[in-house]
Amino acid sequence: MPTITVHRKDLETLLGIPFDADEFERLLELVKGELDDVDAATGEMRVELNDTNRPDLWCVEGICRQLVAHREGSGKGYDFFAPRTAERQVIVDASVSGVRPYIGACISRGVTVDDTLLTQLIQTQEKVCDVYGRKRRSIAIGIYDASGLKFPLHYKGVSPSEAAFVPLGMDEPLTLSQIAEMHPKGQQYAPIVSRHAQWPLLVDDADTVLSFPPVINSRQVGEVQVGDSELFIEVTGTDLRMVTMVINLLAANMADRGASIDPVEVVFPEETPFGRTVVMPRHLERVQAVTLPAFRRVLGEDVSVEELVKALTAYGYQARTAASGVEVTVPPYRDDILHPVDVIEDFAISRGYDAFAAELPAEFTVGGLLPLEKYSDRVREQMVGLGFQEVLSNILVGREELTDHMELHGAKLVSVSNVMTASYSVLRNAVLPSLLKMEQQSGRAFYPHALFEVGEVAIPQADAPMGSETRVQLAALLAHAEANFSELTAKLEMLFFYLNTEYRLEGVDHASYIPGRAGRIVVGRESVGIIGELSPEVLENWGITVPAVAFEIDLNALSAA
Amino acid sequence: MTLPDPESLVSSLHPLEVAVIQALVKAREATDAELAEAAQMDPARRDMACGWLAEKSIIECAHESVAHTVSLTETGQRYASGGTPEARIIGALTAGRELTMASLSEALEMEQSEAGTAVGALKKAAVITSGKGGALEMVPGADLAQFERVGALIAQVASEGTVDQATLPEEQQQALDGLHRKRGKSKGVFRVDEHRTRTYVLSRLGSEVAALLKDRAQIEEIGQLTSRILADGSWKGKAFRRYNINLKPPRVAVGRKHPYRAYLDQIKAKMVAMGFQQMTSPLVQNEFWNNDALFMPQFHPARDIHDAYFVADPKHSKPVEEPFFSNVAKVHADGGDTGSTGWNYKFREMQSRRLVLRSQGTADSAHKLSEGPDIPGKYFSIARCFRYDQVDATHAPDFFQVEGIVLGEQINFRTLLGMLKMFAHEMAKADQVKFVPAYFPFTEPSVEMHAKHPKLGWIELGGAGLFRPEVTGPMGISEPVIAWGLGLDRMAMVALNIHDIRDLFSSDLDLIRTTRGGV
Repeated sequence: MPTITVHRKDLETLLGIPFDADEFERLLELVKGELDDVDAATGEMRVELNDTNRPDLWCVEGICRQLVAHREGSGKGYDFFAPRTAERQVIVDASVSGVRPYIGACISRGVTVDDTLLTQLIQTQEKVCDVYGRKRRSIAIGIYDASGLKFPLHYKGVSPSEAAFVPLGMDEPLTLSQIAEMHPKGQQYAPIVSRHAQWPLLVDDADTVLSFPPVINSRQVGEVQVGDSELFIEVTGTDLRMVTMVINLLAANMADRGASIDPVEVVFPEETPFGRTVVMPRHLERVQAVTLPAFRRVLGEDVSVEELVKALTAYGYQARTAASGVEVTVPPYRDDILHPVDVIEDFAISRGYDAFAAELPAEFTVGGLLPLEKYSDRVREQMVGLGFQEVLSNILVGREELTDHMELHGAKLVSVSNVMTASYSVLRNAVLPSLLKMEQQSGRAFYPHALFEVGEVAIPQADAPMGSETRVQLAALLAHAEANFSELTAKLEMLFFYLNTEYRLEGVDHASYIPGRAGRIVVGRESVGIIGELSPEVLENWGITVPAVAFEIDLNALSAA
Repeated sequence: MTLPDPESLVSSLHPLEVAVIQALVKAREATDAELAEAAQMDPARRDMACGWLAEKSIIECAHESVAHTVSLTETGQRYASGGTPEARIIGALTAGRELTMASLSEALEMEQSEAGTAVGALKKAAVITSGKGGALEMVPGADLAQFERVGALIAQVASEGTVDQATLPEEQQQALDGLHRKRGKSKGVFRVDEHRTRTYVLSRLGSEVAALLKDRAQIEEIGQLTSRILADGSWKGKAFRRYNINLKPPRVAVGRKHPYRAYLDQIKAKMVAMGFQQMTSPLVQNEFWNNDALFMPQFHPARDIHDAYFVADPKHSKPVEEPFFSNVAKVHADGGDTGSTGWNYKFREMQSRRLVLRSQGTADSAHKLSEGPDIPGKYFSIARCFRYDQVDATHAPDFFQVEGIVLGEQINFRTLLGMLKMFAHEMAKADQVKFVPAYFPFTEPSVEMHAKHPKLGWIELGGAGLFRPEVTGPMGISEPVIAWGLGLDRMAMVALNIHDIRDLFSSDLDLIRTTRGGV
């Protein structure tokens, strides 16, 4: 979720009214935003935007655009989205087709860059490229001082070892390969294109390099500075619709600050969904019809067409009456309307959630627990009655807790590939190690210790759909100076008595237990668990200094037995 | 204050108390030491019994004296055998040795700080001065009396072991005060200990009690009732010793539910009471059920929000069940027949089959949609979830999410709000709620509920929305479905008086035993 920094003065200019923190906080609901932090001294504040499909809202201009539309009752009209002819061109060479095929551009004139604008430009560029553009993979933005550029520009693929220019942050010309290798931005972003033989380059008609998209701008023209007033804005990417929408939102942002926007024509080597030549900014021509029954079904009440048109217009749409409801044209700087429900939500937001009367669904349903849950609860109740303290453990644990500590070396486990900390790297396959971990850390708690846990474990299983099975197991541990096998079998006996289940013990050699003092718990013909005195090796591995006896029972198996 | 009547006091006396009273009857008055001797008990028991009796006003402290005894510290004992640093410096200089401040500690084998302090004291008393080149020199005719007195006092205490401070002559007491204070506790030469001696007598009430006690002595008291006494009837005609019922009992280990599990049990019971059936799904999921079925596009930044743990081996699940796989792939690509445009990209099967540790409880809801749920129907799950987060006070390695769905023809935005209000009332005893627009990839409209908790004030209680048709359609559900999730951890932590989320899963038995819970 993007969080942006906004300046109070900038906000007041764009909103056209004095700032009031409480009022602003309330208004932010319209853009699914939250005010995190207001620094009264500097006027800086942080705003968190929750809608990951609305990059147009990840900047102060976009937030204000939405709020002003709400106040004025309709969105601001922009003349530059209508079809126009452009004086300037970008010519796309076929060599970028398989690499990064799309580019869009426009020119902003008449607004001089100051410190605030520069910070906001950089912030918008970063948020849009990082989050919406997936760290520049699908969207990268470049902004330049337009005054020295010689049009038409050329967007083409070049040999990375031959083409060279001075990138931002360097003093010497470097080839694209060298940039990929040495420049921090090259190391970070060149992998997006480096598997191709030719890499993208944007040059002007005099062969001056503007940038190596999506990696780095040239130092000569690719660094916007305070005082610049004619900006060339370009966006490259993998999807023409996304590229166009980002140009649209950047153009709208500049226009909101008073700039006039000059279109730029992009000439593609072949047909695109928008034609071979595309003038940007341009409408995305997204029209969505929504019927009155659809509104009714989602909202639970009838809404008049008049109210719909009014509220949707106040949310920035062009809305009109249509055959069986309304039809909206989505603003060209948004492309998040996939389905009529998206428009319906915007209507609800525009009208205000408070305007909907809450009511309970009248349909009657019967609640209930899953059979295994009921069985587990019964087992837990018995264990509490038998004097055990229930515990609750994390189930993402360290590998050695399940293996070496238990003298079960090399056991197969569900393990994580992107480990953050070794102590949270595998899912437990048994509950007992969780109890031993507690015993290890509780030597100072007064004795005796009688612990149990009923909890989930993951057992690797090659033929299971997810490669493992989740099961529910019960483990119990007795630890004190005189803990022994017979004390625990007495408890086990009573547990099974009240679970109304016949069982028997069959001697077993198990590495965690003392030989001759462990047994399988067998119900019918199925082994459902194990009980025994923990071996001194295991106790030593855990650093436990009192004798301990334990059992572990698979409740999936036991409840089915 | 009205005194309790002697009769009832007598009946509740502890044997130790009786012994002290009897000793005082004989001796009229006695010091602590004499009492311990006469009543034949160790000082701890004697103090306990005297404390009880004094509290009941049976005995009184007639006289209390404080004595100070002087003994040598370790430093003092060292000085007793080797001489004080001052004396040794005087001795060495008198013997004609050449010493400077710098060479002093090595030459006389004393600590630097000790040497420094001693030279300072000697200079201040005008016993020595620094001459040429820093050489220390005796001042002719200096008065050495105060240093000799200290030496003598050390020698005396050393030979006698302890000395009553009051018996020392005044000038020695002064020397003692100086050394006792000047050098602090750790490095002092002498230790002065305070001894209090109390002399006890019986009060008037005590005398009455003692008289009654004497009468009672004729009757045998029973301590522990036993089977034998019951069988032979020997208890008849005898009194039972009265217990002090206010003694603090020892702690015992009990069988008990874990406080957080008990809290979750209550949530479970609430959900069932509101007509919800439980649902579940495995800890390990493929991305299909964790994300794709929830219409989160495979490229979408929302998948960064749900940064998950990926499974190492195997990396992929078996092929996803049909028709769900094809339906979901199609709805991502072009919306299928849901009326959506879809995300317009190429859906990748192997990413869909990538195994992850369940990162959101909504995965359980996705499974339930595919399993032919009851319509109308309500479902909930308390699902263990995992996020790729650094573990700290607000992030546990795994945690529970309480989530669910409600299906039916009557489901819409207004019934969604109604249900959330019911949750606020049932789960947080909150009747004031606020609904705020929210964003979740799988619901539209989406809402976040803030509720006014009686203790916590306004809290974010949960998020909810109507499942997008792109979520329900591919699962064969045509009715509207509410998806909801509740954030209960904060309330649980308040109920359990816990401030670190990791303590909900603590491995500290003491903490669990002392966490009282109560919801």
